[in-house]
Amino acid sequence: MSDPATRVQLVPPSSVVLVSGGSRGLGLAIVTDLLEAGVKVAAFARTVTPELAKLADAHPDRSHVGSVDVTDLAAAQAFVRAAEERLGPIDGIVNNAAVGQDSLHVHTAIADIARIIETNLTAPLQLTRLAVRRMLAQGLRGRIVNITSICAQRGFPGLVAYSATKGGMDAATRSLARELGGRVLVNAVAPGFFASEMSAVLGQTQLDQIVRRTPTGHLTEPEEVVPVVRMLLREQTNINGQVIVIDGAASI
Amino acid sequence: MKELSRAQIRDLMGQVLKNQGKVLPDDDAADLREVGFRSLDFSELALRVEDETGEELNFDAPGLRRIATVGDVLDFLVELQRQ
Repeated sequence: MSDPATRVQLVPPSSVVLVSGGSRGLGLAIVTDLLEAGVKVAAFARTVTPELAKLADAHPDRSHVGSVDVTDLAAAQAFVRAAEERLGPIDGIVNNAAVGQDSLHVHTAIADIARIIETNLTAPLQLTRLAVRRMLAQGLRGRIVNITSICAQRGFPGLVAYSATKGGMDAATRSLARELGGRVLVNAVAPGFFASEMSAVLGQTQLDQIVRRTPTGHLTEPEEVVPVVRMLLREQTNINGQVIVIDGAASI
Repeated sequence: MKELSRAQIRDLMGQVLKNQGKVLPDDDAADLREVGFRSLDFSELALRVEDETGEELNFDAPGLRRIATVGDVLDFLVELQRQ
């Protein structure tokens, strides 16, 4: 009798990971963590920050960084080709690049709504399509991690368009996982609001109130999200098509 | 572009409050919380100004969070029309 495990082809850990929006914040933390874990990383952002450039200098054989606007599909394609020539075929993607919002829907300019949707929803779908086509064409298996947000599942004023795009990516995560039939594992990580983001827009009293309502007693930090992203890219877990919320149970 | 004066915006603000059975104080230093003028009331007022001028007034939320008095509301909208 054959063991089912021997008949199922598992998706190997990603060895070359493409990270969008890798120049600061969570994206930079993800790039740092993956490089430290020995993974090859191709990271781009609109602007290559000194921090990202320093990382690339420290890992010249395992990194490829560049200045690319995620909404510029031609530039993204060129970056992917260059990254693959240097690092080998990409078998992991982290869709992290996004623009935020802090305006009531009725007072958000139409052009800003379009820009948020283009950057946070259209661009990652296009980047995913591009990378998955290359994976499939090369007979590779791979993994995708979409960075979404708790506001895809819970309502927050001032984040209507942003929330819609993150909810769209959560939905795409599930459908892609189905569509790619286990050949590519597709998951999303939905952090709660980071302390740095919240402190920029809320007063100390409001921050204290949110912390009191969070069972773990603190707002999420990028360092707490990074291990989950790494797990989804590297560990054998059979997690697929899921949205993993990381918010200390603030939203339950 | 047509631009409303501070006094005209004050009149519109008074109408927004009057529709809710509230009264706009004469004192620009009056605290919005005491007046009962909430963020959606601000949106309504901004949209009324838009109706009058025919120009959209778009802005981010952080600007709103600094508004605490009747005078702040009027100053904000006067300034916004000029941007």
